[in-house]
Amino acid sequence: MTNSPRSSRALVGDHDPIPHPHDEGQCDYCGLPLPRDWRRSRQVPNTDASAVQVQALTDYCCMGCRLAASITAARGESGAARWMLARLGLAIFFSMNVMAFTMTLWAEEWYGPVWETSGIGAAILADIFRYLCLIFATPVVLLLGPPLFENALEGLRQGRYSTDLLLASGVLAAFAISCYSVVVSEGPIYFEVTCAVLVAVTLGRWLEATGKLKAAESLNALERLLPTLVRKLQPLGGETEVAAESLVVGDRYRVAAGERFATDGVVHDSRGSVDQRLLTGESWPVSREPGDAVLAGTVNLDGDLKVEVTAPAGEGSFWQILDVIRRARATRGPTQRLVDSVSAWFLPTVTLVAILATAIHATFFGLDRGLLIGLSVLLIACPCALGLATPMAVWTALGVAANQSVLFRGCEALERLASIRVFRFDKTGTLTTSHPRVVELVCDPLTGPLEVISAACAMVSSSRHAFARAIHDFSREEGVESAPTPVQVIPGRGLRAEESPERPAVWLGSLRLFEEQGLKLGTAIREAVDRASAEGQAIVMIGWEGRARGLFAIEETLRQEAVGCLAELRTMNCDLAVLTGDSQSRGDQIARLLAIPVEAGLLPEQKLERVREARQKLGPIAMVGDGINDAPALVASDLGIAMGCGPDVTRDSAMVCLLSDDLRLIPWTLALARRTRRVIIENLFWAFGYNAVGVGLAAFGLLHPALAALCMVVSSVMVLTNSLRLKWFPAPPWVNLGASSAVATESPRVARPERSQLVQECSN
Amino acid sequence: MIGWPLILLGGLLGSSHCLGMCGGFAITVGLGARSVQGNVLRQLVYSSGRIFTYAVLGASVGLAGMTVAHEINAWVNAQALLSILAGTILVIQGLRSGGIRFGKRLSGPSGFGCLAGGMLGTFLTAPGLEFAFLAGILTGLLPCGLVYGYLALAASAGSFIESIGIMVVFGLGTVPMMFLAGVGASALSVAARRKLLRVAAYCVVITGLLAIGRGIWFVQTGEDTHGLSCPACRATD
Repeated sequence: MTNSPRSSRALVGDHDPIPHPHDEGQCDYCGLPLPRDWRRSRQVPNTDASAVQVQALTDYCCMGCRLAASITAARGESGAARWMLARLGLAIFFSMNVMAFTMTLWAEEWYGPVWETSGIGAAILADIFRYLCLIFATPVVLLLGPPLFENALEGLRQGRYSTDLLLASGVLAAFAISCYSVVVSEGPIYFEVTCAVLVAVTLGRWLEATGKLKAAESLNALERLLPTLVRKLQPLGGETEVAAESLVVGDRYRVAAGERFATDGVVHDSRGSVDQRLLTGESWPVSREPGDAVLAGTVNLDGDLKVEVTAPAGEGSFWQILDVIRRARATRGPTQRLVDSVSAWFLPTVTLVAILATAIHATFFGLDRGLLIGLSVLLIACPCALGLATPMAVWTALGVAANQSVLFRGCEALERLASIRVFRFDKTGTLTTSHPRVVELVCDPLTGPLEVISAACAMVSSSRHAFARAIHDFSREEGVESAPTPVQVIPGRGLRAEESPERPAVWLGSLRLFEEQGLKLGTAIREAVDRASAEGQAIVMIGWEGRARGLFAIEETLRQEAVGCLAELRTMNCDLAVLTGDSQSRGDQIARLLAIPVEAGLLPEQKLERVREARQKLGPIAMVGDGINDAPALVASDLGIAMGCGPDVTRDSAMVCLLSDDLRLIPWTLALARRTRRVIIENLFWAFGYNAVGVGLAAFGLLHPALAALCMVVSSVMVLTNSLRLKWFPAPPWVNLGASSAVATESPRVARPERSQLVQECSN
Repeated sequence: MIGWPLILLGGLLGSSHCLGMCGGFAITVGLGARSVQGNVLRQLVYSSGRIFTYAVLGASVGLAGMTVAHEINAWVNAQALLSILAGTILVIQGLRSGGIRFGKRLSGPSGFGCLAGGMLGTFLTAPGLEFAFLAGILTGLLPCGLVYGYLALAASAGSFIESIGIMVVFGLGTVPMMFLAGVGASALSVAARRKLLRVAAYCVVITGLLAIGRGIWFVQTGEDTHGLSCPACRATD
C-alpha cells in the first residue's frame, strides 16, 4: 500500500487548532514539515505547467532532500542512483586534486628556489599547476553547480532571500575571477574555494537530508508495516488479490496467520488470536471471534480470519496514530518559536556583516581579498545548524517515544514535560488497573437481581467510565443483555435515565448521588455500603421510584508497577499526590499502600481547583489520568497525560497519550523529555557559539573560505549527530524482558466469587 | 635512514588492527568482482583511492605544519612539539591495539560515518572500477586513530613533499593487509591475526617512541628541524 501522507487527512476537523501537516506542507523525502516561508508557493494556483513545476519543487524542504530524493527515486534503476551519488563522489575526488595543486602553489614560498632550478622555471610550473586547478575544478562546477544554482533561482522566482543565492553568486564569482587569472597568467585563483563551497554545500545538505530521514524513519517504518495487497473475497466465492487502498467499507478480505490487517474491520468468520501490541501496547495476544473488531496494523497470529472492512485504508485507528505524530511534528514548541524569531534576523545580519567586511577589506587590501572574506562570512554563518538544533532533537525524540507507544500531541508537549516537577494522579484506571471488577451484587429485597442487572446494563452501555465497563462486563458474564437507554451524565456522581412509558427515572451512581436525590437505602443495602466501605471497595448503586434497588461492590486492583513508578518519579525530584473522587476510606488505603498524599472525595471541579492550587504553589504540573472522566483536570494542568488510550488517540484533553496501560512509561517519558531538552540546549549553545565565533573570525579575515565551507558541514553534522544520539535513548528495561504487560499484572487481588455465588447472595 | 621503512612497517602491521572495520570494506569491494583477477584489480584500485586520500591529507597537514613552523618557530619549536604529539598519539594507538585501554571508549554512531554510510555502501558494492576508487577515497576519510597518528607525524616532518611521502608510504604499507582481507578473507587464521596484531602494536609503539625521542632531541638541541633528518635516524646512519 502506498501510504501517501495525504491519505490520513480525513481526521482533522475544520476547527482543529493544530494545523494538518499537509496544510503546513511536508517534505516528500523526509516527511518532515516544510520551512514556513515555503508555504506561500503552495498556494500558487497551479494551472499552467510552470506552476506545476513550482508545486513539485516545493515538496522538498531543502536542496539535500531534493538531491537525496532523486537518488532514492532512481533506486529502481540502480545505475541512475549510483550515478547521482557518483557525481558527488567524483566531485570530491576532483576537489581533492584541486586542493592538492592549490596547496602546491601555496608551498611555492618554500619551494620557489627548487622550482627555479628544476629546468622548467618557477613561472611555468606555477602556470601548469594553475591550469591543472582549472581542469579539475571545471567538472566540480558542472557536477555540483546545477542543483545549487537551480535552488537559488527557485528562491529568486519565489521572491525568497536565501543563502543559496548568496553562495551561488560567490561560487560563480570565485570561479570567474580564477578563470580570468589563469588565462592572463596573473592574479589570484580561488578554484579551491569554488570546489570546497560546492562540495561542502552539497555534502552538507545531503547529510542533513539523510539525518532528517533518520529522525523521521520511525514513522515511515510504521507506515511500511501495512500490507499493500490483500486477498479480497468475492461475493460469489473465490478471492482476488487487490490493492489494500481499493477496499471500501463492507468489503471482505482474508488475513492468513502471521499477516497484518490492512484496515480496521470486524471478524466475519472463524476465530484467532491477534497481537495488538502496535496499537495498544498490550503484549499478550487477544482472542478475536466473529463480530469482534480488529485494527489495521495488528497481527493475526494463528487463525485464518475473514474480515469485513469498517474503515477504509487511511481512515482507521492506525492512521489516527500516524496523524497524531505527523501533526505533533508540524507544530513548533516555544524554543523553536524563539529560534525562528532569532533566525528571521540571522540572514540579514550576516549579509550586512559580509557586506561590511567585504567593503572594509576591499578598501584596504583589494577587491579580491574583500570578496573572499565576504564569502567566508557567508559560508561560516550556518543558519542550517540553528534551524535544525531544536526540530531534529524533538523529531527524533517523538519517534523514540512513538516506538514505545507514547504519543505527544505537539512539540510543545515534549518541551513542557521536561520542565514538569509536579505530578497529580487520578486513581481509577490510572494507579489502579483500568478493569475493575464487580465482586458483589446486593439487591433490595423488593427487587430481583435480573431486574437490577438489566436496568444497570441498559444505562452503562454508552459510558466509558471504568466502573460502567465493570458493570457491563458483569452483566455480560451473567448472561443479561439489554438495549442501551439514553442517559444524562451527572459529573462526579453518576448517570440518570429519564422516565419513559416503559420505566420510571433510574439513577445509577455513588452514595452521594443517592443522598442528594433522597433515594432511600434499605437495610440490606445499608449493610452492604458499610461492609464495602470497610473493605475499601467502590460502590455503585442503582435505584428508582425513591429507593435504592441494588448495589454493585467494585474492587479495583492497584497496578503492580505503581509503587516503582512513583518511587522513580520521586528520585527525579517530583512532587506527587493523588486526586480522587473516591471515598476517604479508600483514599486512606491508597495513601498507605503507595506512601503518597491522597485527596479523596473530590468532585471534578474540586480536582480542577487542586490542580490550579498546586501549580501556583509548586510550579508546572502534569495530571495523569485516563482522559475520560478526568478530562477537565487534564486540560487545566500544564500537561495532561492520558493512560491506556489504546488506539483511541482522539482524547484531546491529554497532550500526551500512553497507548499502553503501563505506568512505568511516565518516568521513562519524563527522562526522555529531559534528555531531549538537554540535547536542544547543547545544540543551540553550539549553533549560536559556532556562528558568533565563526562570523567574527571570518569578518576579520582569519578564516579561509575553503576552511569556512568545511566548518559549515561540520557544524550541521554536529547538530545532526547530537540529535540523532537520542535514537539510542535506552528503551524501558522491561521491554526486552518479554511479556510483562499491564494485562499480566491484572491478576485479581481477591479471588472473584463464582457467578452462581453472586446471584445466590443477591437472591438471599 | 630507518624512518621510511619504519613508516612502511607501521602501515603494514598497524593496519592489521583496522581489519575489524576496514577489512569489512575490502571484503565488500571484492563482492562486486566476477573473477579473482577482477577482485585483485578492484582491491588495488580501492587501495589507490585510499592512498590518494592519505596523500592529499598529507599535503594539507604538511603545508599546515610548515606554515605553523614558519610563523611561530621564533619562540616555539613547532616541529619538535608536533613530533612529540605525533609520537604520543602513536604510542597510545599502539598500546590500545595491544589491549591497553585509555579512558572511556566512545560508543554510538560516528556522525559523518553514520550519515554518509549510504554513499560509501553504494560505492563499495557497485560493479565499476571507478566506484571502487571512490569507495577508497571515502574510506581514507573515515576517522581512524592510526591515520591521525601518522598525519601528526607528517605534519611534524617540516616538509610539504615529505609529508605527502610519509602518508603515501604509510598507505602503501596498509595495502598488503587490506589486500589479503579482500582477496582471501580466510588467508590468516585467527591465531595468526592475533600474533600479528601484537607485533603491529609494538611496531606502532616503537614508531611513536622514536617520534617522541626525536621531538625531545629537537627541543634540547634547538636544531633546525626542516626536513626529515631525525637524530635517531642519524644516530643509526
